[in-house]
Amino acid sequence: MASRPTVTVLGADGKATGATEVLPKVFSAPIRPDIVKHVHTGMAKNKRQPYSVSEKAGHQTSAESWGTGRAVARIPRVSGGGTHRAGQAAFGNMCRSGRMFAPTKIWRKWHVKVNQGQKRFATASALAASAVAPLLMARGHQVSTVPEVPLVIESSAFAVASKTASAVGLLKAVGAGPDLDKVRASKKLRAGKGKLRGRRHRQRRGPLVVYSATTDGKDLVQGFRNIPGVETSPVDALNLLQLAPGGHLGRFVIWTSAAIKELDSVYESKKGFFLPSNVVANADLTRLINSSEIQSVLRAPKGEAKTKRGHVQKKNPLRNTQVLLRLNPYAATFKKEKLGEIKAEGKPTRVPADFLGQLKE
Amino acid sequence: MSNVSADLIWEVVRSQNAFLVKRKNSGGVQFSRDPLNLTNLHSRKYAGFVNDKAVGVVAGENGAIQVISKKVSAANKPASGVTISTIGASKANRKTYKSIAKQLAKSGYRADLRQAAVARASALRASQRPVKPTPEPKLRGNAAKKAAEKSE
Repeated sequence: MASRPTVTVLGADGKATGATEVLPKVFSAPIRPDIVKHVHTGMAKNKRQPYSVSEKAGHQTSAESWGTGRAVARIPRVSGGGTHRAGQAAFGNMCRSGRMFAPTKIWRKWHVKVNQGQKRFATASALAASAVAPLLMARGHQVSTVPEVPLVIESSAFAVASKTASAVGLLKAVGAGPDLDKVRASKKLRAGKGKLRGRRHRQRRGPLVVYSATTDGKDLVQGFRNIPGVETSPVDALNLLQLAPGGHLGRFVIWTSAAIKELDSVYESKKGFFLPSNVVANADLTRLINSSEIQSVLRAPKGEAKTKRGHVQKKNPLRNTQVLLRLNPYAATFKKEKLGEIKAEGKPTRVPADFLGQLKE
Repeated sequence: MSNVSADLIWEVVRSQNAFLVKRKNSGGVQFSRDPLNLTNLHSRKYAGFVNDKAVGVVAGENGAIQVISKKVSAANKPASGVTISTIGASKANRKTYKSIAKQLAKSGYRADLRQAAVARASALRASQRPVKPTPEPKLRGNAAKKAAEKSE
């Protein structure tokens, strides 16, 4: 890489201000969906709260098996008489009002420790992926109206963003409107019991606004927090769960210019962590294959070049003029000069008598 | 950027992406909803959002056909990264195909997509053609004609 790539800074109206920022080094980190997926599965588990069924559930009866010889199964049965419950099977997971199979316990291993180095690697990878437009599209973000990816907006434009209406206006001006509409249209009632447990609706994720807490301040958080799908994150506390929701790379990230300026120093301040480097310098297979280094060591192809024709329907040259011309180029002149319509001049000469005789021999 | 290429992106998105439609029938067909996909098949060759150079043929307004192609130089600029050329409804079909073929193959943009692009344009044109009303059945035979005259 001869020159480090830059990114243009947009103004509040979505037009380029003319200022550019050097793209931070994180954006050239390797894109590793396997690592991001693995780290995400671990991290996503760390917000869980323990749940379980009651310890006593299904065991609040003094059932005993009747043993053999009474022509019923040997499952424990409720003792006593006088109610319908007496004599019914109990305890087993196959029984009505029995306990469940392997009752859930609060001491399940709810949380997963993920190594810090892995988390940092995954975050760097997710950041790099957020600068690749096809990956944003593959994640489902509507970015066809976005002027540039990564999208960097002047910090001063966020001064008005402490009010939600102006924050929405800013997002629309920079081409994030279709993504907001997509989120708004995607709100659906959740299937299942989650509805009763504080997860009533589900919806897509929109853009993530990354700001610098020191320069931009935290007022913009209040402006953005009530816009459906939009999330905010300070640049020094980027979270993989926001950068790669569902473990899928390519979150649509909107940066303030102060945040993108600060990003390099954020990574420099992480002690003992070096940004991961790419295994191959050039990931473009076609360019590698066509490079002179590779081509010079390949042997020449055997045989001669030939065009392979698949199944071809035979065409009737009497009906299809193009095929006729291929077989008989003279047909064009023949037709143009109407040679077929020329009458033979004079009267036809009589067939010599000896010819007929010869014919009928 | 040097850490990203179409080959890498394809490996990342081939198992799941927003355009992919997976169905269990017909042996697990995989289609794509990508507007830059000429055959709507989920494949490396036709995955328009992945490739640096890609072509889409879509229906425009009033029977026009739009040919969308990606600009290689503006890979990270989605809003300005596509060229749209419109072929009006009045243009003859053969000329339409010729101009598409010229744009893709003759200019060396994506010669391998020529056939698919022309086929798609042809299918669009066929769908835009007005539907002919079915002619009323002719009366066959004198007896039928006489019966029709009588009933009038």
